[in-house]
Amino acid sequence: MTLELSNITVTAGKRRLLHEFSLTLAPGQFVALLGPNGAGKTTIARAALGLVAAQGDVTLDGKPVRGMPGRERASKIAWLPQQSLIDEPLRAVDVACAARFRFNESRASCEKAALAALKRAGAWDFACEPVTRLSGGEHQRVALAALLAQEAPLLILDEPANHLDPAQQIAIYRLMGELWREGRGILCITHDINLIAHTLGDRKPEEIRVIGLAGGATRFESDFGAADLDGKLGDLFGAQIHALSDNGRRVFIAEAAKP
Amino acid sequence: MNIRVKIVLIIVLSLACVAVSPFIGPALEGAQGGFILWNLRLPRTLMAVLAGAMLSLVGASYQTVLHNPMAEPGTVGTMAGATLGAVIAVVSGVIAPAAGLPMVTLFAFAGALIVSLALTAIASSGRASVNDVLLAGIAIALMASAVATGLQFTADQASTLAAVRWALGHLAQVGYADAALVAVFVVPVSVLLLLQTPALDAISAGEDRAFSQGVDVPKLRALVLGLGALGVAACVAWCGPIVFVGLVVPHLVRLGVGASRRLVMPLSPIAGAGFLAVCDMISRVLLPQRELPVGVITAAIGAPMLVWLVVRQRR
Repeated sequence: MTLELSNITVTAGKRRLLHEFSLTLAPGQFVALLGPNGAGKTTIARAALGLVAAQGDVTLDGKPVRGMPGRERASKIAWLPQQSLIDEPLRAVDVACAARFRFNESRASCEKAALAALKRAGAWDFACEPVTRLSGGEHQRVALAALLAQEAPLLILDEPANHLDPAQQIAIYRLMGELWREGRGILCITHDINLIAHTLGDRKPEEIRVIGLAGGATRFESDFGAADLDGKLGDLFGAQIHALSDNGRRVFIAEAAKP
Repeated sequence: MNIRVKIVLIIVLSLACVAVSPFIGPALEGAQGGFILWNLRLPRTLMAVLAGAMLSLVGASYQTVLHNPMAEPGTVGTMAGATLGAVIAVVSGVIAPAAGLPMVTLFAFAGALIVSLALTAIASSGRASVNDVLLAGIAIALMASAVATGLQFTADQASTLAAVRWALGHLAQVGYADAALVAVFVVPVSVLLLLQTPALDAISAGEDRAFSQGVDVPKLRALVLGLGALGVAACVAWCGPIVFVGLVVPHLVRLGVGASRRLVMPLSPIAGAGFLAVCDMISRVLLPQRELPVGVITAAIGAPMLVWLVVRQRR
């Protein structure tokens, strides 16, 4: 089971959103995709799902994603969108149940799996609440539960901790780390390199691939343990970024914008 | 109140409305009473059940696929198309029945279908966003209405009056054969729409999200719009454009059982059948010696109900 994006280019009118971008993701791999606003990170997620047309090849298990039957695609790859707010007053359990569309199963079996996903995502307490009444953090946990309920081996998470308080951010990244260590392939799109450290558990930083993206093209490929990562990140974001050591863990600090 | 109690309440209340409706009205005594009950009241109640169920189910489906709480069968131009067809038949003076059916009915059916299938073709292109579909629907409906109004303006007084009366919505002149013909469209369309419930449940949380969960969104939208057009075209061809049922009933059901389409989809047609049966009953008894068009009653009840729902949701 491999997601493969080979030299893909995506345009919107005359604007080029992505330029000859390539990526592979298999179960058990963790890829952190970083880049400034407008770099094309979300476009990569949308192209990987077949939501936008791309020049080049986007395949899942060697088959083109666009044109693949929906249920087959959903059995291989799941997505946590950046804007995950739902404006319908659906109960959290209904949102997680709806994510199991591909299974064609009974309501009882669907609810059982949805409740298990909600429990794992820490959303059990508000399983029967309408999502429109939940806080941002609770809402994101429900969205995460829906991602889990889909039971796909490859997961794309687009800014999963956006607008959350630090404790919620860490909890979500820790859960993402658990999913990775269980064997799922993770593509995590983020601005915040420091949160990646919370996914590690007993894994080594070198096991996480880091891709820096700017202007729709790859600027660097590295790993989370690379000694020169701070410099590469600094170039990517146009800021002076330094790595400090804190109890054996590296923390990246942006000090000032580069002149 | 427990959700199961609410579900039972909606079903029992709707069934009670349908069961009681034919017996309310001027007294049904003697042989004449029997004739009125069996040959007039029961077929029109049957038609009210079919039309109410279809309009409500289509309303619930359209509100979901078009992501718009104001979407209803008229949004895609079905009502305006039917009215245009009926006006063409009335104004052109084509009266002779064809295949045992009045020309007005056949023209209204064709008008509803042509206009709403034009929109379905736009929706199925895959390139049209939900807003494109909505705007195209509004434009098509306005265009059909404008043509119908223009035709009425050029017609003689009697034709204009006939067209206006038809456009008010009516159940008075239907028989078992009419109801059976409408059922030929309504029953399969309802079954096929209800089979889309899991996909509609997924799409209610967002189109892109539903796509990533395996729903073929453009195909679903085209299927729902096409099926809805067929079912509603059959209803309005026989009953005229009955307004507000498809808009208000799904909202009332949501108010009771929540937003999950798993409940809204099957309960909307049940509640819609009860709602239109009650409206039909009111249209018979409100004025002495005279019946009001049922469309007037659905609008009179539906409009304030909609305002109440909006105010309640804001709170």
